[in-house]
Amino acid sequence: MNVVLDVRGLRYELQGRALVDDVSFAVGAGETLVLLGRSGAGKTTTLRLINRLITPSAGDVRIAGDDLATQDDSRLRRRIGYVIQEIGLFPHFTVAENVGLVPRLERWSSTRAEQRIRELLALVGLDPVTFGPRYPHQLSGGQRQRVGVARALANDPPLLLLDEPFGALDPVTRLELQREFRALVARLRKTLVFVTHDAREALLLGTHIGLLESGRLAFLGTTNEFRASPLPQVRQFMDSAA
Amino acid sequence: MAATLKRLVPVLLAAATLTCSRGPRLVIGSKNFTESDLLAEIVAQQIERRTGIPVERRLHLGGTFVCHEAITTGAIDLYVEYTGTAFTAILKQPPIADPDSVLRFVKAAYERQFQLRWTAPLGFNNTFAILVRHADATKYGLQTITDLARVAPHWKAGFGYEFLERADGFAGLAARYGLRFSQPPTAMDLGLTSRALADGKVDVIAGNSTDGQIAALGLAQLADDRGYFPPYQAAPVIRSAVLEQYPKVAAALAELGGKISDSEMRRLNALADVEHRDIADIAREWLTNRLQ
Amino acid sequence: MTLLEFYRRHFDELLLLLRQHIGLVAISTAVAVLLGLPLGVLVARRPAWQKPILGMTNVVQTVPSLALFGLLIPVFGIGAWTAITALVLYALLPIVRNTYAGITGVDPAVREAGRGMGMTDGELLRLVELPLAAGVILAGVRVAVVVSVGVATIAAAIGAGGLGVYIFRGVATVDDTLILAGALPAALLALLADGLLALAERRLVWRPR
Repeated sequence: MNVVLDVRGLRYELQGRALVDDVSFAVGAGETLVLLGRSGAGKTTTLRLINRLITPSAGDVRIAGDDLATQDDSRLRRRIGYVIQEIGLFPHFTVAENVGLVPRLERWSSTRAEQRIRELLALVGLDPVTFGPRYPHQLSGGQRQRVGVARALANDPPLLLLDEPFGALDPVTRLELQREFRALVARLRKTLVFVTHDAREALLLGTHIGLLESGRLAFLGTTNEFRASPLPQVRQFMDSAA
Repeated sequence: MAATLKRLVPVLLAAATLTCSRGPRLVIGSKNFTESDLLAEIVAQQIERRTGIPVERRLHLGGTFVCHEAITTGAIDLYVEYTGTAFTAILKQPPIADPDSVLRFVKAAYERQFQLRWTAPLGFNNTFAILVRHADATKYGLQTITDLARVAPHWKAGFGYEFLERADGFAGLAARYGLRFSQPPTAMDLGLTSRALADGKVDVIAGNSTDGQIAALGLAQLADDRGYFPPYQAAPVIRSAVLEQYPKVAAALAELGGKISDSEMRRLNALADVEHRDIADIAREWLTNRLQ
Repeated sequence: MTLLEFYRRHFDELLLLLRQHIGLVAISTAVAVLLGLPLGVLVARRPAWQKPILGMTNVVQTVPSLALFGLLIPVFGIGAWTAITALVLYALLPIVRNTYAGITGVDPAVREAGRGMGMTDGELLRLVELPLAAGVILAGVRVAVVVSVGVATIAAAIGAGGLGVYIFRGVATVDDTLILAGALPAALLALLADGLLALAERRLVWRPR
């Protein structure tokens, strides 16, 4: 297995409390690790430790073998896709400008960037001609989420981090996007760490599941192993997915 | 609570009636420079000790025109004015040199036009002093205003707003002496001119000949060799109606006549401007020592 | 003499004073923006600085303008540069405060997404925060300019020229026409400046259409 993301002994303390405590996992190429857990379990914190939006108190993170602590944070993050629940599209940028953000930061030629933007918008199911010049406030929630995904993929990152990206959508749109997303990820062969509190989403999208409870991993294994696990915390989540 | 309030009411009523009392009272004003404040305070204290009439001070009101407006409308009853100023600025007469003629004219005109009475001059002449830095006076051999005309094209002048506006002010002076400065004079608050001169921001200003700071700031006065400025004798000017109402005031004011010389006024100004002593204290001390 | 006659007779002088007045306001506003914008960004980035910096600019604003001129004179002497210093100090508060408010008012999700995508602090400031805060910042500049036009009339008391010269001359001589000759253009100048900046705001600031 080709390890894309290797996390060892990750720990994050805030005001004496450990929000993440001794978390270790490895994600191989093409795998999707879902970090599952209740609110406050430390899922988002773990995610933000991976792209160093916050600094770990202990432990290390390696992406494709490089120790992140030795790299410049901003440059590093351009090689990692990041999608958050509120999406955070720049309201004063068009859809095309939003998707083209990282190519712009990386100083791509305008032809290369334009082509990539067109490609990505088509990939997420948005017609580039219609949607390219639009502004985020002119889009629906589902459309905005698609743009967010396209934006994260712009620089063709080996790793994508997603924090409850479909959480703010209505159930019908959410299901539609989940399905499309799964197909997209399989097609592009991307490696993902995906945070959610929804067990059904975890089962649908994940190849592996890590169950976080009070900052520690209560379970780490494949999705099938999760389904069959006798652990009470796992059973609780499985029941909620039924 | 109610009991306390009940006890307060008569106290409040008494206080109200006291402040609204319509007993004898005089209001004295002054112009916006130290000497005027000092003289107003001396006159005020003199009236209070000789007649027992309470005097309200409204010091540092503004310039000549502001005080004239105030006394003619009755906002104040008295202020100390200078004969030359009344002659040229208020009565708009072309300046003449004889002090007695000026005083006579002014007295008559003020009585007739404004119902204001000029009482005895205090004894000194405060004329405009064209001031330069001592070092410059020595360096360029400046003793008179005619000498100034020589260096004016290379110099900057700074004046207070009143001097710039008055008929006996800058315009007339420049015309009489042929003064042409490198640029139009800088206008500023009168009180700032001596500092501006001392700091080198301007090279010549128009101060008062009885200024307390002249020696202290290292300044030199240039002589008015062409006799441009009229005499400026200081005297209390009071509303005729008020004098008739309080005849005792006339005697009090008469006692001050001729009691302050040029050098005495300069000394008193210095006590205020250089030593920063309280004006009321200076006035009290002077009255006690000088008049008994 | 009516106001119009006065202006006709003293047209050159009016232009000179107008030029001086505009100069005082323009220079001081420019300096205030150069100082205030970075200060506002600093305060937005480091909350620890919020109290001292905003507190200080607040205190300066509460000092009456004539008093502030008076305090600066022993240090800087009389003249235009002292006036400009005082005007800069007065203009700082609206500019710093509005820059701070504008930047912290940016949607935190936008900032999180920007950082997460790999924008440096500088890129975030340049591409996201300042453009989104521009409206609020410009509103602060507008306030600063209008206040400056008013306070600059006092500059005449300390020999800095400007339209206040007419006002002080009018006060000294109890001449209403003179006072108005200075006060009216000053008021019109303030309105004009406010209007121009409002126009600029509409043109330059992004707004969802």
